[in-house]
Amino acid sequence: MIHWKIGTAALLCAALAGGSAAFLSATPLLAQETVKLELWSRQDPSGPLRPGNVVKAAERLNKELAAEGSPKRVEVAVRESPAKGFDDDALQLLKVFGIGEGPDIFIAAHEWICAFQEDGFVLKLDDYISKYPQHFGTIFPSLWSSAKCPDGTYAIPQDAEARMFFYNKKLLREAGYDSAFVDAMPERALSGDLTMDEVLEIAKQVVDKTKAQYGVLHRPNKGPDYIMVFQAYGSGFVDPETGKLLLERDKLAAAFGWFERGVKEGVIPANNTAMEFDALRKEFYTGNAAFWMYGIWDLGSVGFPTYGLPQDEKAFFADWGWIAGPAPQKGGSPVSLTHPIVYAIAADTKEPELAARLLGHASAADLNTDHAVTTTHLGIKPEQLEDPRYAKAWPLARATDLLKITKFLPNNSQFGELNGIIYAGIQGIESGRLSAEKAADFVIEEASSTLEDVIVK
Amino acid sequence: MTTIADELTIERRGHAGSAARRRTNFVIFLGPAIVLTILFFVVPVIIDIAVSFTDLSRSLRISEFTTEQYEKVLRTDRRLSQVIGLTFIYVFGTLAIFNVTFGLILAITTTAIRNVSGSFFRGVWLLPRMSPSVLYILLWLWAVSPTEAGLVNQVLMQAFGLDGPLDLLTSAPVALIIISNGFIGASMGMIIFTAAIRGIPEHLFHAAAVDGAGTFAKIRFITLPALRWPISFVTIYQTLSLLVSFEYILLLTKGGPFYDTTVYALYVYRRAFESGQYGYGAALALFLIVIGVVVALIGWRFFDMERLLQRPRIEVH
Repeated sequence: MIHWKIGTAALLCAALAGGSAAFLSATPLLAQETVKLELWSRQDPSGPLRPGNVVKAAERLNKELAAEGSPKRVEVAVRESPAKGFDDDALQLLKVFGIGEGPDIFIAAHEWICAFQEDGFVLKLDDYISKYPQHFGTIFPSLWSSAKCPDGTYAIPQDAEARMFFYNKKLLREAGYDSAFVDAMPERALSGDLTMDEVLEIAKQVVDKTKAQYGVLHRPNKGPDYIMVFQAYGSGFVDPETGKLLLERDKLAAAFGWFERGVKEGVIPANNTAMEFDALRKEFYTGNAAFWMYGIWDLGSVGFPTYGLPQDEKAFFADWGWIAGPAPQKGGSPVSLTHPIVYAIAADTKEPELAARLLGHASAADLNTDHAVTTTHLGIKPEQLEDPRYAKAWPLARATDLLKITKFLPNNSQFGELNGIIYAGIQGIESGRLSAEKAADFVIEEASSTLEDVIVK
Repeated sequence: MTTIADELTIERRGHAGSAARRRTNFVIFLGPAIVLTILFFVVPVIIDIAVSFTDLSRSLRISEFTTEQYEKVLRTDRRLSQVIGLTFIYVFGTLAIFNVTFGLILAITTTAIRNVSGSFFRGVWLLPRMSPSVLYILLWLWAVSPTEAGLVNQVLMQAFGLDGPLDLLTSAPVALIIISNGFIGASMGMIIFTAAIRGIPEHLFHAAAVDGAGTFAKIRFITLPALRWPISFVTIYQTLSLLVSFEYILLLTKGGPFYDTTVYALYVYRRAFESGQYGYGAALALFLIVIGVVVALIGWRFFDMERLLQRPRIEVH
């Protein structure tokens, strides 16, 4: 009996000793705290590494935290939204924040950031930006202006790009333009010699003299590219003094007039806004349209992989090319638009510091270059230009020319809605429901009745 | 001695002491319907009214209670008159051409031919209603595609020698939404009218034939008078249904080009969900509810539904 008791006691002691040892050895693990950061990202084939780089950045941040002896570890959970475009996505996310279900970090188009700021959903980042110069110090200063609201910086630029008029050189040559003329178009556009109306003229020649059906095509939904035309005709949409939305009737009517002339000449199809995105791309890349108003990344996302455009620089420029948005009249200023996508942190995240550091790592030059070269977006830091991969991606280097004249969409909290009204105006003109003058009136009336603080001139 | 009337009353109402049972029956039989009506009609209407007096916008936050939305509806919204005009054309057009007239023609023709063929054609006309809306509209989009591959263009170009393809979505969008909705709407009228025609005692047709009535006379003097109640019902029901439904239009034309096919219900949707103006959308929706109720009441009066819904005075055994 006694023997049994001693045996039991010995067993118990051994078990206790073993348990304690296991517990003690496991203590550091138990003390480790996993911080889950939720990232909201639109499902977007033109930029899978926008969220992907944040996920990768978590590994780097965790190593850094381990080296610092911090018990915290970061885990990124990506929440993908199926929105078709960044505008729909932003409207969706505003609702999600509104009901208190917002993420910790989100990816958005820059012009929406002040809408989030206005409702107090986004964190002001100035302190973090200056605290972590190793992460944010070298980002191009010009890009920061796309992340600013009136009282500070609320986002971190993730990429940039260039919007332009792509053109099919083969069709232009078929229409009777000689190679010298066709190849000189980019230079002429940049110098202000090529005008918006000349583009319509060239497009008309193509439609009249070749088998191509279309002259100029543009996106079939609300977005940034066609705003280039409005910027070319002088609309900035924001009053520089007050920061309020500004609508100038004559300038609006002039820009709408370009679309009106395009449709009348049979150059822009009346049903452009009713066509599918993919159908429009197909028309251009398969040689059925002279011009395609879009952005540089379209080459990487669609032009090269889907339609087999030559990936060799020389071969590409033999038959294809792009020009800046031309000036409204000879000697005027050409335009290009860049539309940065930004990272932002929710105002109510429990770990703002970690989120900021995470985005710092996601903005690392090598990770951002991965995104840039695989999706033909422009980088955010000068050191990326030295990366051989970046140098090899010639569309990026060539598109950088346009950055000299590039503009942003205004960072006004209501611009997203105004853009929807402008798009409806274009649709009204192209489908023959409105004249250019009426479209300008329509935009002013709609904006004045549905938006706040609109200045009309 | 009890009279027949008393017996009937007892039979209808039950014996004494059954008040509790009546209450139970009330709860059992009408309860679910009442709960559903409250949940899916009364409560949403109350919420809609409440939201319409707020500035609820894109971030779902309310900062003030205001009548601003109603001012917008009544004063500043210049699209509204066009939208209301279009809604009238759409509802009236679909109803008059398809849901009632075409439904009636289908019912009369398919009951006049052999039963097997009649059932087959009715089955064919039911297909659009049975297929999912997205699939149905995808077929339409292919049919009216502005390219040479579109079905309509193929037929017009190859059979009728048309030079270039037509773009019906741009040139005739209102006709398209009426036809695409009508093809579906006609089937409901067809089913109801067919059932009603089948219910007409056959000897009436034989008697009419003996009296020398032709096909059109039979339709005019026997079929149509018997269909008064179903026609009234289909008209009112489909008017309300057309007023509030917009999914086919949204899928087919997205309300465009421009605002050409934006009917009232779609306009509410576009304002509320595409522009994030939920307060304004709620105010607009409230007017839609009011219009719906008014239309229903006018229809009730116009078609004298009260008399049509009365219990039959003659019992047929």
